[in-house]
Amino acid sequence: MDFVHILAASGGVASDLKAVGENLQQQFGLHGQLLISQMVGFLIFAFLLKKFAFGPIQAMLEQRRERIAAGEEKLKRIEKQLADSEATTAAAIAKANEQALRLIAEAKEGAAAFSEQKTQEAIAQAQQILAKAEAAGNADRERISTELKREFGRLVAATTSQVTGKVLTSDDQNRINEEALSKVGN
Amino acid sequence: MRTLATILSVWFLCLASAFGAEGGYHTLPFNAPVVVDLGFFKITNSMIAMWIVAGVIIFFAQLATRKISLIPSGLQNFAETIVEGLEGFLGGIMGTKLARETFWFFGSVFIFIVFANWMGMFPTVGTVGHYDVAADGTKSDLIPWLRGANADLNTTLGLALAFFALWIYWSVKHNGFGGFLSHIFVYQGEGAGFIKILLYVIFFLVGFLEIVSIMIRPLTLTLRLYGNVYAGENLLELMLQMGGQWFGWLAALPFYFLELLVGLIQALVFTLLTAVFTSLMCHHEEEGEHGH
Repeated sequence: MDFVHILAASGGVASDLKAVGENLQQQFGLHGQLLISQMVGFLIFAFLLKKFAFGPIQAMLEQRRERIAAGEEKLKRIEKQLADSEATTAAAIAKANEQALRLIAEAKEGAAAFSEQKTQEAIAQAQQILAKAEAAGNADRERISTELKREFGRLVAATTSQVTGKVLTSDDQNRINEEALSKVGN
Repeated sequence: MRTLATILSVWFLCLASAFGAEGGYHTLPFNAPVVVDLGFFKITNSMIAMWIVAGVIIFFAQLATRKISLIPSGLQNFAETIVEGLEGFLGGIMGTKLARETFWFFGSVFIFIVFANWMGMFPTVGTVGHYDVAADGTKSDLIPWLRGANADLNTTLGLALAFFALWIYWSVKHNGFGGFLSHIFVYQGEGAGFIKILLYVIFFLVGFLEIVSIMIRPLTLTLRLYGNVYAGENLLELMLQMGGQWFGWLAALPFYFLELLVGLIQALVFTLLTAVFTSLMCHHEEEGEHGH
C-alpha cells in the first residue's frame, strides 16, 4: 500500500468518525452544552452531598469509631488495673494472714509465758502464805502453850494452896509452877 | 400460591392479546428531547429529572444531618447505614484510606445512579408532557417533561468523563506523573537477564494497549449504563402499550420489579468498575491494607 492509499484510507477513517459523531449527535442527542451541563450538574450534586451528607456523617462515624476505640482502650486499662488490684489485694491478704498467724503464735507464746509466770507467782505466794500460816500457827501454839502452862501453874498453885491450907507466897507459887511445868513437860 | 398462579395466568393472557394486536408501538426515542430552549442554554427532560433526583437526595441528606448526634436515630440512622455500607463496600475494593478519600465521588455516583434509575419508574415520568404543534396544525408526539436521567447519553457520558478526569487526577496524585506512566509502561515484577529485558519490552508494548483500554473505559461505562437504562425504560413503555388501556399496568408489573433490580445492579456495576479502575492505579499506596 503506497502513501496515497494510506492517506486515502486515513481520510476514510476520518470521514467515518465524522459520520459517527453526527449520528451520535442526531440520533442520541449528544450535545456539548448538554454534556457539560449534566457533568457540572452531577459535580455540583456530589459537592453538595459531600457538604451536607457525607462530610458530617463520615465525621460522626469517625468520632464514634474513635470513641469506641478509646472506650475499648479504657476498658483494657480498667481490666489491667482490676487484675493489678486483685493481685495487690491477694498479696495484702496473704501478708495479713501471715502477720495474723505470726501474731497468734506470738500471743500463744506470750500467754504461755504469762501463765507460767503467774503460776510461779501463785506458787510463791502460796508458799509465802503457807509459811506465814505456819509461823502464825507456831506462834499461836506457843502462846496457847504458855497460857496453858500459866493456867496449869495457877491451878496447881490453887490446888496446892487448898490442899495444904496455906497461903502461898509469890515465891512459892513460882516454885510450884516451875516444878509442875517441869513434870508436865512441854 | 393460587393467587400467584392466577396473577400469572391473567398476565400471560394479557401479554398474548397484546402480541396479537395489530399495529406498531411507539418506542422511547434515543435522545432526551429538549423541553426548554433558551437559545444559549437547552434544558432536556432528563436534565430536569436529574435536578429533581439531586434536589430530593440533598433535601433528605440535609434533613438527616441537620441535628446530627452521636447516638443516631430516625433518618440519620438510615443515612449512616447507607454511608457506612458503601464505605465498607468501597473499602473492600480500594482499601479504607483510598475509599475515604474518594468516597465523595463514588458515594455520590452510586446514590445518584440508583435513585435516578428508580425515578424513571415513577408514574408521570415519560407520560406527562406536551405536544408541539406545527404551523400546519399537526401535533407532534408527546414530549414528556421527565425522562430517566440515565436514559440520556449526555448524562452517562458526563458521569463517565467526570470519573475519567478524576481518575487521572487521583492517579497522578498518588503516583506522580512519572509513576503514572511507569505504572502503564514499565514492568514492575522480578526477573533477571534476558527474560527481564524481554518482559520490559513486552510490557512497554502492552502499555499502548493499556492506553487504548483506558481510553475506551469512559465509552464502555457510558454505553453500559445508558443501554441498560434505556432498554429498561423502553421495555416498560412497550409493555404498558401492549397491555392496552386497561391492562397495561398488569403487563408491565413484573418488569417493574425487574427494573428495580436492574437499577440497583447498574449503579453497583458503574460504582464497582470505577472503583476498581481507581484501585488498580492507586491501591499500592495503602500499605498493610491490601496487597497487589
